[in-house]
Amino acid sequence: MIGKKEWFKRRKYSGWGVVPATWQGWAYTAVMVSPLVALSFMQVNEAVPAVLVVWFLIFAADMVDIMIHVPRDEREKQHEAIAERNALWVMIVILACGVAFEVARNTAQGKTALVDPVIIIALLGALVAKAITNWYLDRNN
Amino acid sequence: MNPRICEDSHQGNSMTLETKISELRKKIGMTQEELAERAGVTRQTVISLEAGRYNPSLFLAHKITKILKQKHIEDVFLVK
Repeated sequence: MIGKKEWFKRRKYSGWGVVPATWQGWAYTAVMVSPLVALSFMQVNEAVPAVLVVWFLIFAADMVDIMIHVPRDEREKQHEAIAERNALWVMIVILACGVAFEVARNTAQGKTALVDPVIIIALLGALVAKAITNWYLDRNN
Repeated sequence: MNPRICEDSHQGNSMTLETKISELRKKIGMTQEELAERAGVTRQTVISLEAGRYNPSLFLAHKITKILKQKHIEDVFLVK
C-alpha cells in the first residue's frame, strides 16, 4: 500500500478511523485528498469522473488497510474495545427506543405497527456480528 | 521507593498487583521512552503501568521483566 501505518494514529475523540500522527501522514492525506477536491470542481471531459472514482477507491482501500494495521499496544486495544462496546450499546439502546417509539406511535394512531427495516437490519447485523465474533473467539482464544 | 499498586477483583476476591517498574527502570538508567520502545508499547502505557493503573498481560509482564534485567516476573510484579 501507499501510506504507512506509522504515520497515523487511532481516532479517539472525534469518531472512528485514523488521524495523521506525523507530518508524513498529513502530507499523504493532503496529496491524496487534494486531487479529489480539485477534480470534483473540474468538468473538463468524460474521463475526469472515472479518474476520480479510481483515485478515491485507491485512497479508500489504503485507508482501510491503515485503519486495520495502525499500531496499538495491548492497553490501547483494551481501551478501543471498551470504547467501541460502549458506543455500540448507546447505539443499540437508541435504535431499540426508536423502534419502540415507532411501534407505539403507529399503534396509537390505529396504523399498522411498521418499523423502518433499516433499523431492524442494523440490529440484526449487530446480533450476527456479535455471534460470529464470540464463535470465533471461543475457538481461537 | 514504595511499589506501585494495581487492584483487581474477581468473584469477590480482591487482588492487588504491585509493580516495581519505576524503581528498577531508574536503577538501570532507562527512560520511560526507552522502556516503551523496547517493550513495544506506548510511553502512556509505561506511565500507566508505573502508576499502577494498568494490569498487563503475562506476555508484556514477562517482556518488561527481561528488559529490566530481572530473572522472575515476581521481581517486578507481585500479585497479593
